[in-house]
Amino acid sequence: MNALLELRDVRAAHDGITVLHGVDLSVAAGQVVALLGPNGAGKTTTLRLAAGIHPAQSGQLLLGGRDVTGVDARDLARAGVCLIPEGRGVFPNLSVRDNLQMMTFTGRTRAEIEEIAYTRFPVLASRASQTAGTLSGGEQQMLALARGLATDPAVLLLDELSMGLAPLIVTKLYEQVAEIARQGVAVLIVEQFAAAVLGIADHAAVLVRGRVELQGSPDGGLRDELSALYLGSSA
Amino acid sequence: MTSTEPRPDLASGESRADRFVRELAELKIPDPAAARAALWLRLGATLMVLGLVLAVSAYFVSHNTQNPLDQRDGLALGLGGIAGSVVGAALFLRYSLTGFLRFWMARQSYDLAVLADRLSERDLARDLTSTDPAPR
Repeated sequence: MNALLELRDVRAAHDGITVLHGVDLSVAAGQVVALLGPNGAGKTTTLRLAAGIHPAQSGQLLLGGRDVTGVDARDLARAGVCLIPEGRGVFPNLSVRDNLQMMTFTGRTRAEIEEIAYTRFPVLASRASQTAGTLSGGEQQMLALARGLATDPAVLLLDELSMGLAPLIVTKLYEQVAEIARQGVAVLIVEQFAAAVLGIADHAAVLVRGRVELQGSPDGGLRDELSALYLGSSA
Repeated sequence: MTSTEPRPDLASGESRADRFVRELAELKIPDPAAARAALWLRLGATLMVLGLVLAVSAYFVSHNTQNPLDQRDGLALGLGGIAGSVVGAALFLRYSLTGFLRFWMARQSYDLAVLADRLSERDLARDLTSTDPAPR
């Protein structure tokens, strides 16, 4: 299957310091790819680069086979690239309903957006009038996902979905992410904690100091190699 | 583990991935579009400042000489500086206002949608077949 999202030998920098040293990565439609690695490895930069927010020093960003390196992030978002940033990306002082209504800029009606959100995350329906900032972390993440889904994404980029959440909630959220991918969405997940995401990932890559040190299928012995990489011993 | 077979859109028979590829192919992407607007914005600001500096310098050039030829040069430089400054200001306004207006329009559209919802909810709550208790 052709890749919907592809990074080819991408290099990127922060304040003149190179943080990505030639990253190659691809995600096909319906595929979940997990990008793992320690803090400061360049995972979030990779994700921001894929969304068109962070500029590439060199290399190519391809979407649907087309080179879109340097294209405005707003154009990519309009085309169907959705980034859910770390920290949930909801309006904390607006209610759940208002947060969803903000997504009507996509052309969908409020009713359609609420239907998408409440069908996938029924708990949000019972919290519709509640201010988003007072929701639990898991519910806020559900709201962020629901807002993302309202944009009808073809490529979904998730940054640290599990941050600060209980393992049970993380498992439930990842089940939803897998379901979203099954509908043909290419999903790239950045995670620091491998256990949960490897359960749903079709492919995983480990980024260390801006380089993909390891990649493969979680079924193909990647878990052992991952342990070896983290613990510094041979698999 | 997920299946990698995308579901087609029931209405058109085209999957989201196919539509994404088609829409991206149709997207009018300017070649090195990354920083074009930012470049114009910076150029505008630079031109605005440089034009003013040039105009002020030209004033001193013409003021500190008795030679009419130098004074005319100063005059020409000053006018050129002011013209550059005006063009720079126009460029700067054009590209900075675009960003601001985009946000303002989004806000307006949100407010209008809220108002429309409120009005329709009020109408739904009323029995439209009954007589109006307070005719307007």
